[in-house]
Amino acid sequence: MTESILLLPLLLIVLGLPVVFLLRRMGLTNPKAGWLLSTFPLAAFFILLYAYTLLPHGKPLFFRLPWIPSLGLNFSLYLDGLAALFGLIITGIGALVVLYTGYYFDDAHPTRPTSGETHKSSLEVRFFAYILLFMLAMLGVVLAGDFITMFIFWEGTSISSFLLIGYKYKDEAARKGAFKSLFITGGGGIALLAGCLFVIHLTGSADWNTVIAGRELLTNSPLYPAFFTLIVFGAFTKSAQFPAHIWLPEAMSAPTPASAFLHSATMVKAGIYLLARLNPALGGTDLWFWVLSGFGLITMLAGAYLGSKQNDLKPLLAYSTVSQLGVLVALIAQQSEIAFKALVISILAHALYKSALFMAAGIIDHETGTRDLRQLGGLRKQMPILFAITSIAALSMAGLPPLFGFLAKETLLASATHPGLPPIIDSLFPLTTVLAGALILFQAAILVWGVFLAPPADPKHPPHGHDPRPGFWLPPAIPALLSLLIGITPIEPAFLANFLADSAKAAYGAKVKVSLALWTGINVPLLLSIVAVSLGAALFWQRNRLRAALMTFLPDLTVNRLYDWTLRGLDWLAKTATHLQGGQVRVYLRVIAISAVSLYLLLGGFPPLSLLPSPQWNLHGLNGLRAFSLVIMAVAALSTIFLRRDLFSVLALGVVGLSVAVWMALEPAPDVALVQVVVDILTTVILILGLNAIPRKQRDRANELLHSRRGMTRDWFVAGIFGLAVALTTFTALELRPRESLVSPYYAENAKPMTGAKDIVGAIVVDFRGSDTLIEIMVFGMAGVAIYTLFHFGARKPGEASTQETLQTLPARMPRGIYALPTSPLLHTLAYVMLPLAFLLGATHMMYGHDQPGDGFTAGVIISLAIAMWYIVFGYQETRRKLTWLNRNNLVATGLTLALLNALLGVALGEGFFAPVNYGDRLSLPLPPGFSLSSAFLFEVAICLTVMGAATLMIDNLGRIREDENA
Amino acid sequence: MNLITALVIGTLFAAGIYQILRRNVIRAAIGLALISNAINLYLFSMGTYNGLAAAYTTATEQISDPLPQALVLTAIVISAGGFAFVLGLLYVLSTRYKTSDSDEINGLKH
Repeated sequence: MTESILLLPLLLIVLGLPVVFLLRRMGLTNPKAGWLLSTFPLAAFFILLYAYTLLPHGKPLFFRLPWIPSLGLNFSLYLDGLAALFGLIITGIGALVVLYTGYYFDDAHPTRPTSGETHKSSLEVRFFAYILLFMLAMLGVVLAGDFITMFIFWEGTSISSFLLIGYKYKDEAARKGAFKSLFITGGGGIALLAGCLFVIHLTGSADWNTVIAGRELLTNSPLYPAFFTLIVFGAFTKSAQFPAHIWLPEAMSAPTPASAFLHSATMVKAGIYLLARLNPALGGTDLWFWVLSGFGLITMLAGAYLGSKQNDLKPLLAYSTVSQLGVLVALIAQQSEIAFKALVISILAHALYKSALFMAAGIIDHETGTRDLRQLGGLRKQMPILFAITSIAALSMAGLPPLFGFLAKETLLASATHPGLPPIIDSLFPLTTVLAGALILFQAAILVWGVFLAPPADPKHPPHGHDPRPGFWLPPAIPALLSLLIGITPIEPAFLANFLADSAKAAYGAKVKVSLALWTGINVPLLLSIVAVSLGAALFWQRNRLRAALMTFLPDLTVNRLYDWTLRGLDWLAKTATHLQGGQVRVYLRVIAISAVSLYLLLGGFPPLSLLPSPQWNLHGLNGLRAFSLVIMAVAALSTIFLRRDLFSVLALGVVGLSVAVWMALEPAPDVALVQVVVDILTTVILILGLNAIPRKQRDRANELLHSRRGMTRDWFVAGIFGLAVALTTFTALELRPRESLVSPYYAENAKPMTGAKDIVGAIVVDFRGSDTLIEIMVFGMAGVAIYTLFHFGARKPGEASTQETLQTLPARMPRGIYALPTSPLLHTLAYVMLPLAFLLGATHMMYGHDQPGDGFTAGVIISLAIAMWYIVFGYQETRRKLTWLNRNNLVATGLTLALLNALLGVALGEGFFAPVNYGDRLSLPLPPGFSLSSAFLFEVAICLTVMGAATLMIDNLGRIREDENA
Repeated sequence: MNLITALVIGTLFAAGIYQILRRNVIRAAIGLALISNAINLYLFSMGTYNGLAAAYTTATEQISDPLPQALVLTAIVISAGGFAFVLGLLYVLSTRYKTSDSDEINGLKH
């Protein structure tokens, strides 16, 4: 299992997260925490390095963990040269940045009075956690083995970057910058996901091997422009290509360690990584070449130009990063060996010098309190070590020998003058490179000049600071020194050259030779380099005039206005959409009804006209009673509308339900009809009770608010077409339904042998589909409990005490009926008789439900209706006092528990969940004939208990309100 | 026969929709109950065969399809539970807003 070593670096970073919180408990200072925490990424660095040496010759390591196998989704990791290059940069620079963070947030040596960044004395837990979180996401992006895994980590980088930029959330600029970066990179992420899905759909798999092997398929697909655009858009937003670059300078409001890590070395390179990774799969087409070259060159120049206009060190560095990202994109466009050699060298060189420069800028800010070139100057004597570090890194940035950056620029120029380039680009590419190179050199020069060498801008208040402690300058010193060492070492570091060649190979798709020799003889690149350096020097010589011109005349080239307009437009759209919702539920309902019918007509179409039986109506199966029940049903349904009083309307509704029951009984389906009858009665009762819960005056007012004639016509129209659509569907379904059931004969044959039931419907309900019924009574029980909750807590205004009262406090009084109306003693007697009768009826239903119509549900409702009669006759309080055993919530709970236990008992006996078991026979109990003590019976009892509890909850909660008011 | 059943179900549905569009919330509840009835009826009539006897194993004649019956049984109970809950909600709305006019119950607006 060599592959599983790939998990280790990720796990190590994950492990670092809880340690951060542990450290706070231990009360460590920031620098100590930084030292300690930097060991996690450092260990990850070495593990990656070790894993890289394990790579079987030229073959990548691939680790896969099934995630959702049915969808073909895996969590997979992948390591080859390219992933290793990025992974090592991330963990290596990451370790330095974590160490640097500790000192950056150190307050033990307050060398600076106040500045934009607020410092707290406590451990910066949040920052350490965010930066580790980001590291995890970023490492995941480059180690991911397929699109989906990569995408998840990709979004993780967007989110953790948002957290880091908005770290100083009290600062509005930080919040805006964070939002902007999330908006732009998040939008790109959505496009990327869409593009990935195209690719996965075409190749059939998400992992890199398959995707790269599917190159022919992908580049020849007619969809290629679509997913190319989506994926490249995602990569461009992440890697700050013009015009999506606007988020990067504003991301500089993040604390400097985050800028050094995210916005120079890692996150912005995620897009580069993606493009390089996909180059073997998608690259090499004309579209790829022109789009990437075009955007790359524009970005290269725009970044270099805008950077020259900056006074603040961090935006200056950010813009030069933008420029460098443009270089990298332009290099990926070229399909030549030298371009990919330049790509990997540039990535490494840039990561080294830019992180060093960012960290140095942070130290300058930390020590002197400002990052503004107009206030700095003359710090060479005060900060000699920092001066050395910054100079080395800046020389590398300028691309001067003998630094690593020189090599990067030489190879870049070599690929820019590569003979294989098509016209236009073959002149544009070198030209842009020279111009951008000169501007970058100019920026590097004014950075060092302005901070360390020039006389202070304001001689009366020169900035003062001194070199920080070693732990603080060490992190920038290491990459700066590496830039120097790789350049000047006389023996070519073979390992590094091979490593870079390996990375380039993964991106190029074919072998790449990399040599790290600085001197390659006098050739075109060298000459161009000399031109660029001279131009840069000339610019620097004329720096004051140039800067003045830049600041005053030349445009900002910003597309921030476009971004602002987009946001404002979205706001406006949202507001308008909200205004469309006038708060009238009826309007929404009308819209829903019309849309539903339109969709139905649009997608479903009209039923085939051949089904419509022309003049002779097929009246087969229609007898007097059926016709009668149907007529009554339709008439009663329409009368609910025309009856003006709510009560009559409710009664008409009851008639509808009863005629439905008659229709069902004529099927013949006695079980369903029985349940329909009791449910209809229950519904009518609670509706009448509910009717009275809402004051009559209110309802009358709502009824009197007569709808306009036009409104009523419109509603009739809506209802009419809806009804017509339903009728058409029903008719089509009835005509076309299969006349042969696949399932029912099975139930019919097995009901008796398997469950011992004569009643097939009953057998289906309690045995075959017992789980359904269990869920059904859960729903019913929940409805009861929910009504109780609504009435006790929902109807109460905030702050008001619960109206719950205990039974003990209820005063005994003369039995008076509902609404405190006096009731006749005859009714009292009737109620007293009804309850035991109902129990008896319920018990027989439960016992013989298996062979006769009726079941536990009917039993429960019948008993509840008898109790409802008590409520009506004796009133709520008196009933509660008399029926103390009636604890509704407990009944629901007991019923459900019993049902579950009964179902599980089957498992315990080895029969299976909800399997029919006849306990009476097993224990050979003497039972009356026709009754069997079976699991079905127990289930019926459970159903009965639940329904009883829920139904009485419904009845008494809806019924007691007015009584309280009247009492 | 099928056509008549379909028309009656359509009528029930239409009446339900019309009631739901009323301003009085109680009327809307009635509409909801009408629609539940229509849907149960619809499901019920979708049995693959109509028989002459109820679905008992002892039946000697052709029995009616037991499957939709069992399913409708569940549907009836669940719609009753849901309907009761809707009534509870209506009560809460009317006490909170002091009205049963759905046009005035618009606290979620904007």
